[in-house]
Amino acid sequence: MDWTEILRFSRGPLLHVAMMIFIVGMSYRLVKVILLGWERDRAANKGSKLWGVILNYLKGLLVLPFIPWVRRTFRNNALTFIAGGLFHLSLFVVLAFGTAHILVWKSLFGISWKSLPTPVVAFFSAAGIISLIVLLINRLTHPVLKLLTKLPIWINWVMVFLPMITGFIMARHLWFRYEVIFSLHLISVSLLLIWIPLGRISHFLFYFFSKTIHGAQAGKRAIMP
Amino acid sequence: MKTQLAINTYLKETGGWVASQLEACTRCGICAEACHFYQALGNPEYAPIWKLEPLRRAYEQRFTVAGKLKLALGLEKKLTDADLEHWSKIVYEACTVCNKCAHVCPMGIELGPLIHEVRAGMAAAGVVPGDLAEATEKQKTIGSPLGVTDEMWRERIDWITDEWEVDIPVDKAGAETLVVFTSIELMKFPDNLAAIAQILNKAGENWTASSKGREVVNFGYFEADEELTKLFMYRVFRAAEELGVKKIVISECGHAYDAFRWTAPNIMKVPKGVEILHISEYIHELWKTGRIKLKEGAFDSETITFHDSCKIQRRGGIIKQPRELLKVLAPTSFKEMTPNKAQAMCCGGGGGVISIKEADANRYAVFKMKLEQLQEIKAQSVCMVCSNCRLQFVDSLAHFNSTVKVHGLAELVAKALV
Repeated sequence: MDWTEILRFSRGPLLHVAMMIFIVGMSYRLVKVILLGWERDRAANKGSKLWGVILNYLKGLLVLPFIPWVRRTFRNNALTFIAGGLFHLSLFVVLAFGTAHILVWKSLFGISWKSLPTPVVAFFSAAGIISLIVLLINRLTHPVLKLLTKLPIWINWVMVFLPMITGFIMARHLWFRYEVIFSLHLISVSLLLIWIPLGRISHFLFYFFSKTIHGAQAGKRAIMP
Repeated sequence: MKTQLAINTYLKETGGWVASQLEACTRCGICAEACHFYQALGNPEYAPIWKLEPLRRAYEQRFTVAGKLKLALGLEKKLTDADLEHWSKIVYEACTVCNKCAHVCPMGIELGPLIHEVRAGMAAAGVVPGDLAEATEKQKTIGSPLGVTDEMWRERIDWITDEWEVDIPVDKAGAETLVVFTSIELMKFPDNLAAIAQILNKAGENWTASSKGREVVNFGYFEADEELTKLFMYRVFRAAEELGVKKIVISECGHAYDAFRWTAPNIMKVPKGVEILHISEYIHELWKTGRIKLKEGAFDSETITFHDSCKIQRRGGIIKQPRELLKVLAPTSFKEMTPNKAQAMCCGGGGGVISIKEADANRYAVFKMKLEQLQEIKAQSVCMVCSNCRLQFVDSLAHFNSTVKVHGLAELVAKALV
């Protein structure tokens, strides 16, 4: 098998088609949900909806990830919470500040910024992989998660794990020839992009709906979200 | 056939509001840890998100590619009557629609209102626990879920008037405020009803009760049957319009406050310019504006705490008002339970659960955790602003042989009037 050919295919047509499917698929889902219609809430407000929304995002993004014990609930669920938070943070650091990824963003959007030092990015990519494994073990053992997890959720896990592990191996120059591991990384990224519109990884988009709704409801009722 | 009725309801109710939230779920399971029923009983099926399964399946199979694929590949089945029966027990007997789960969901999904939608499908299909359906039927035909007839209501009001020597105006023309009580207060906590009357009379309020709109509790809302929900509120609104009042004051009932304050304007015609208030915020207003005066420290002799009701505090925003009153009544002995305010744990009796005999074991198990919270701060008495919670406290404290005393806030305020 000629890996140079495969690499050319996977970084070219495959990735482009995958990106198209991702964009079209997600737009379709977004439009579909929006078109289901929104009823106006006619009950008079007690407090400010906008303030509730702002507070809810601040709490969700700044307070909860760093101070998990603010809500007693997390005493019972520290694992999901910490591993889940670390996973998302790692993903953000690696995708936004890894040298190779910055080049991708530059080629796509024409803007670039400074990358973080390699050891930092390496640390986070390892942390991301480890937390993903921890989350898998948790999912395999926790009674509620066992009940909630059906085939598509397992596929989600695999689809996210593959780009992360291949990316890590590639960045650390381990075991494989460059063309081989880069191809595998790109193929797995493409598969992920094609899969996202079908599964629950799409929560990155619908997060903004539910988070806004909850914040507005809390604000409207004059309570802390 | 039954199932189709439920599915039709789900599809009708599924706007962007429902769909976007169902789509946002990541199956992380954190909501389970917020659910007092899951915490107390450990049944994974009590995880709030699992309670949405019938709604999720109906939505996905009709509106999404993924749902249709899952159906075609045999990964998921269509809803059946057996599914409805199964989930009916879960959503009515192991959920008080307290919405605490929404506060821990990392995505902020409003699970409570969505579970209400699941119940709506059950109600449409007629798959509702027998006791709940029976009480609802009584409210529909007799006018009260406890079966209080017009005649009994009048006799009872007369009896309270005599016993507490308090004036309770009924159908008073020209009144500004209509106060609507619960059958629970009328039959089980008449002291609270009398207390509310005493407070309003002391404040010089021009108020009345109504013989036509005499029941504030809404069993249609517990069932989530929209037509009945509207009918039961309509009776009160009609009475308010006939009397020409400017305010409707909801007495100590959480679900009723939720229905009147937040739901009514979205599902039915409400009388214009009529304000909806909960009695606890109204009493607070009377005190704040100097219309009633309270003896400071009237209840300062023993440790007293406040139980937050889901629909009045977490969902109603009346959080600081009862506390301000309690800090006057018991400035040094008032103590908070943990967690409290918007994060408080539900008593376990709300959402119609207490009216379902089959759910007794569930609600006692949940209450045990509440009892632990009371014991943690060595509370000698507990006060609340919902008679449904109060019923659960009185019954469950007796069940656990606890000596903690239970009060309605109005009752304490009335005793401290100067």
